[in-house]
Amino acid sequence: MTDRKVTGRVPRQGGVPGRRTPPPGPPRGGSAVRPTGHALVRAGRGSFLVHRRAAVAAVVLTVFLAAVCGAYLSVGESFVPPSQVVDVLVGRPSAHELVVGTLRLPRMTVGLMVGAAFGVAGGLIQTVARNPLASPDIIGISQGASALTVAAMTFGVAPPAVGGGTATYAVLPYLSVAGGVLAAALVYVVAWRGGLHATRFVLIGIGCAVALRSVTHLFLTKGDYLVAQQAQVWMTGSLNGRGWAEAAPLGGALLVLLPGVLWAARAQRAVVLDDGTATALGVRLGRTRLGLVALGVVLASLATGAAGPVDFVALLAPQIARRMTRTAQIPLLCSALLGAVLVVLGDLLARKLFAPTELPVGVLTAAVGAPYLLWLVVRGPRTGGCAATGGTA
Amino acid sequence: MTGTGDSVRRQGAAEGGGGPAGRLAARALTLGYDGRTVVEGLDLDLPDGAVTVVVGPNACGKSTLLRALGRLLRPRHGAVLLDGTDLARIPTRNIARSLGLLPQSPVAPEAITVADLVARGRQPHQRWWQQWSAEDERAVTDAMARTGVAGLADRPVDELSGGQRQRVWIAMALAQETELLLLDEPTTYLDIAHQVEVLDLVRQLNHDRGRTVVAVLHDLNQAARYADHLVAMKAGRVVAQGHPGEIVTAELVREVFGLASVVVPDPVTGSPLVVPGRPRLPRPAP
Repeated sequence: MTDRKVTGRVPRQGGVPGRRTPPPGPPRGGSAVRPTGHALVRAGRGSFLVHRRAAVAAVVLTVFLAAVCGAYLSVGESFVPPSQVVDVLVGRPSAHELVVGTLRLPRMTVGLMVGAAFGVAGGLIQTVARNPLASPDIIGISQGASALTVAAMTFGVAPPAVGGGTATYAVLPYLSVAGGVLAAALVYVVAWRGGLHATRFVLIGIGCAVALRSVTHLFLTKGDYLVAQQAQVWMTGSLNGRGWAEAAPLGGALLVLLPGVLWAARAQRAVVLDDGTATALGVRLGRTRLGLVALGVVLASLATGAAGPVDFVALLAPQIARRMTRTAQIPLLCSALLGAVLVVLGDLLARKLFAPTELPVGVLTAAVGAPYLLWLVVRGPRTGGCAATGGTA
Repeated sequence: MTGTGDSVRRQGAAEGGGGPAGRLAARALTLGYDGRTVVEGLDLDLPDGAVTVVVGPNACGKSTLLRALGRLLRPRHGAVLLDGTDLARIPTRNIARSLGLLPQSPVAPEAITVADLVARGRQPHQRWWQQWSAEDERAVTDAMARTGVAGLADRPVDELSGGQRQRVWIAMALAQETELLLLDEPTTYLDIAHQVEVLDLVRQLNHDRGRTVVAVLHDLNQAARYADHLVAMKAGRVVAQGHPGEIVTAELVREVFGLASVVVPDPVTGSPLVVPGRPRLPRPAP
């Protein structure tokens, strides 16, 4: 350690002589040069730190996701050979145009986007709440989206698919986003006491979730039997019947939110520190947190609007991703990819496991997610970053 | 025994308070939490290029004051001035480029490594598209070398001992490269060897770089040993301030801590050393 002290002081006097390209072999590993495990990528005047392990994980996940997507398109009620699937994808005439191109492809696209949105939303909300339990389907956001949507269905504002065909599903996303944002605002306002306290935020969120769920059930019992059944399927989270009509607006919305997600990936770095340290580093903590939560809420609500509250995806994806990458904060890209894997793979199994009966995808994700949730609780509060530190924004 | 006379202390206090205006100052500062007022109408000038140590009994408002100086706590009334401007009017990021602060018990994210944590001290100097410059690299390398944590770079922070961890946090604050540095009880939870190590480091930093340091310490003797300027607080007020050699007296200790003591010169540094207890006088039984 003592010899390091000497080398460390040298560069101060003479400035830093030409350290552009890989550092010229500083003494033994030069471990102090940059954050552990990061590679430096330069582009013009910009410089970006890329976590190596996260980058590898992202590549692996992408390959795996591609394989799952391939399987999704060829496996089903009727098997379509992969070569035929490729034909459809590149636009060559094929006998399987209807099954692959019209039924499976748009449904899978919705699944990909829903999963990615849930993955990112869960990551953002868990980061701000500093609690791995804080995912949109636990702290009331999905329930808010459900409540408003089911209310609309039962009171006839948005007649469900039974009567109205596919077009009516297009109204649901807007209602769902409105419901999710309203619920989040409610939780935020109730939990606010001169600052945002992480633990209080989660607990109040759980309370609101229970209340909103019972309101939803009230709507269901008041409503028409058929409508209630339809709403029940939606509430479990299902991709059944989803097509380009749902994919297009969802894709557009996600594209609009993409710059926000890029901002969030960087902003998260400071929010994982304790309040005092983050403020001392010049982070406007209140605004940053609000921005991250708002982004997470909108993403989760959009996803809920498209497929219903697919349980546990937002809870699982960020935590698995973080365990894969071992980063100090939740890796958003990996979390998005994992969310997509969970939903698409879940839907594939949901279609195939009990064929010809088709399960809603939410049943599958819940079957995986619930035991994991138990494990999280049993393992205690050490998981997922500086657990339950108090402090105010 | 040094300066037991009342007049000496008062004089020292007056001169210490009226010195050249520093970059950081508090004006008519009133601070509190919820309904409770902790500090009321406090004026304080912190001398540039010096180590100022704030001491006082528990709950006297010294940490609260430090939090306000570092804009972690918004004043109820009055203001903290940085170069003459109210902190509340300066963008927080700009403050972070000239004022660093290490809170009392910072929490590291799980699984973060030493180098990663220290590098986060560069946050106020970075942009979204400029995440790592040669300057960042130099500052982080330098901060880690100074605090002797370069060898721990790739270790997770949660696996370190208390002393190592505290040095890592100080390294993070150093990497921020601010002219002013506020430390809130940097020696808490450290054994005596590590306490001395951390305080020597602070002294060194002030000596080599002319950094202005403001620290809250609970050990009066350490404060007297390391401070250029000592601020003694009680019940939210400044009771005395000035050079430790001039203001630390048995009387001050009784006034501030309610403790009977004898003040002798420190055998190592010559600074005042407070020895608790009444002087044992050879007197016959009444």
